[in-house]
Amino acid sequence: MGQRRRGAALNASSQTKCGTPAEVSGRKHNICMVSDFFYPNMGGVESHIYQLSQCLIEKGHKVIIITHAYGRRKGIRYLTNGLKVYYLPLQVMYNQSTATTCFHSLPLLRCVFIRERITVVHAHSSFSAMAHDALFHAKTMGLNTVFTDHSLFGFADVSSVLTNKLLTVSLCDTNHIVCVSYTSKENTVLRATLNPEIVSVIPNAVDPTDFTPDPSQRQDDRITIVVISRLVYRKGIDLLGGIIPELCLKHPDLHFLIGGEGPKRIVLEEVREKYQLHDRVRLLGALEHKDVRGVLVQGHIFLNTSLTEAFCMAIVEGASCGLQVVSTRVGGIPEVLPEDLITLCEPTVRSLCAGLEAVIVRQRSGSVPSPASIHARVRNLYTWRNVAERTEKVYERVAGEEVLPLDRRLRRLRAHCGPVAGSIFAFVAVLDFLFLLLLQWLVPDQVMDVAVDATGPCGLWTQTPNSKEEIHAASAMRGSSGTQSSL
Amino acid sequence: MEDEAFTDINGKAISLDCQDHSSFCREFTVSSPKVSIGKVMGYTCSVWLIAYSVFFFTQNTAVLSSAIVVTLVGMMLHIHFVKVDHESLLVIGSLGIQVSYSYASGRETTTFIEMSKIKDIVINEAIYMHQIIYYLCVLLKDPSNSDGVSSVVPLFQSSKPRLNCLVKVYKSCQEILSKC
Repeated sequence: MGQRRRGAALNASSQTKCGTPAEVSGRKHNICMVSDFFYPNMGGVESHIYQLSQCLIEKGHKVIIITHAYGRRKGIRYLTNGLKVYYLPLQVMYNQSTATTCFHSLPLLRCVFIRERITVVHAHSSFSAMAHDALFHAKTMGLNTVFTDHSLFGFADVSSVLTNKLLTVSLCDTNHIVCVSYTSKENTVLRATLNPEIVSVIPNAVDPTDFTPDPSQRQDDRITIVVISRLVYRKGIDLLGGIIPELCLKHPDLHFLIGGEGPKRIVLEEVREKYQLHDRVRLLGALEHKDVRGVLVQGHIFLNTSLTEAFCMAIVEGASCGLQVVSTRVGGIPEVLPEDLITLCEPTVRSLCAGLEAVIVRQRSGSVPSPASIHARVRNLYTWRNVAERTEKVYERVAGEEVLPLDRRLRRLRAHCGPVAGSIFAFVAVLDFLFLLLLQWLVPDQVMDVAVDATGPCGLWTQTPNSKEEIHAASAMRGSSGTQSSL
Repeated sequence: MEDEAFTDINGKAISLDCQDHSSFCREFTVSSPKVSIGKVMGYTCSVWLIAYSVFFFTQNTAVLSSAIVVTLVGMMLHIHFVKVDHESLLVIGSLGIQVSYSYASGRETTTFIEMSKIKDIVINEAIYMHQIIYYLCVLLKDPSNSDGVSSVVPLFQSSKPRLNCLVKVYKSCQEILSKC
């Protein structure tokens, strides 16, 4: 008892100490981002979570990230600005996604939600089993939930039918869903049979300072087409294999620069071999993110041949570097850039060739806008600050909503997800609730220590660096790598 | 000072005793409650009940005698190797840190870490079983690299006090460490 009172007094004192910034700019949230995909894994979802978290911290919210352990990287780590990352030791099953049993992750997730005083759980990516688990447990614990979908799915084959059903179950009582483009929103609403009113569209962003044009890197005696994507079927590499010989025959000064790695590399190598284009088609292999700009600025035209895409970051990066963009008209791509900055084609070799030739003719006649002017227009289109502002509005809205109590949740599951799947998952939800009660009896909430707040307005990292605790906190973090095994 | 009620991470009461031997020598003792009679009775009863039910079906008296041996040996091993009554941390400025465990049977183990090997004492977080806990640990210097940490020695491993207790120990340890 005495302890609880003391804890309350401690909280009160810390609030008075740093309560002013929070009061000025409205209500602040404790946000927990959950996804299987985070650094050291590389990709779009990972950088999205990282950049969004950094901007939300800047706005004064408290943000933590939960992901699964990557090799020896497990336990608790801190990133820039005191962004805390929990690498939980859960078993990875397939493609960096954890196995799901609906229950085994509850004790650890509950512990994190309680000790960090989480108010909003934000899960990312429909491929991530951990994200769905966290949504499920958060709803059981009565926390508000937000989900961001980063990809498009089909409806026809067996695997998509199954994943769509799971998504329906997972999202039917989630408070709010965020999609990256209007096409992606349509897709998600149809797949998960959602009410479109609870789905928001917040596009991705690029860091415009990373992608600045540099025309001096271009070689003016030739025209270079840059392609940067993973070399996989989804990215339309077979189309690229058809385009290269056709255009290279017509235009002797045309060069291709292709960055990326993947199973379809063999297609491009065959084309290069067959038409003797070794000096004109360069395959750079896998590129690190920091090298992408160096490749982009060497080109005049950026080509994207994707067959499906929710929101194409690559074309924004290309345009930001001042390149003419030619792309296929699929998925969310037509919404991404204004019409005069992009040439859209059908996903066929003939249409793409026609589009590219039109751009080449314009490039030769010099009637294209200068790289600097393109950059100036793209620079303010997609920024992370804007994304964070819009996400903040979603949190505001969600925080005002109530979380369905168990009985209404069960009714909703049965009404929304069909009689069989609905009943099964209603049963699972009841079991999850009972398991939660058991855990609350075994380890009561008040026994768990509240985590020292490292981020946000009251964070230790934002205070003056001469305080001793902070230095020790920092050294504790450095020492945290080997500690888990020793305990 | 030691009247404050501390608990361990499972909510059981523990007590912290701070002794100032001099301005640069301080001893912290964390004591957990003794083995309770009820708990011993409970375990013994459950082992014997299982043994009797097995005996009821097999009619083999060896089961009963082995149950007695198992309870006795188990209890002895428990108090000799598992159950720690007191854990103490003796910090002597400029000399080092001594960590000693005294088990319920009276056995004591002591380890000493020289000050030249110690980099710092910090509070760290770790995932322990199905919980995430704070613990106090000593960082050891890496001999090849003056900034590096070669290994970590966790303190109060068996009693596992909660954060408020750890913060108190940490602060007074830092007072002594900062003097030397």
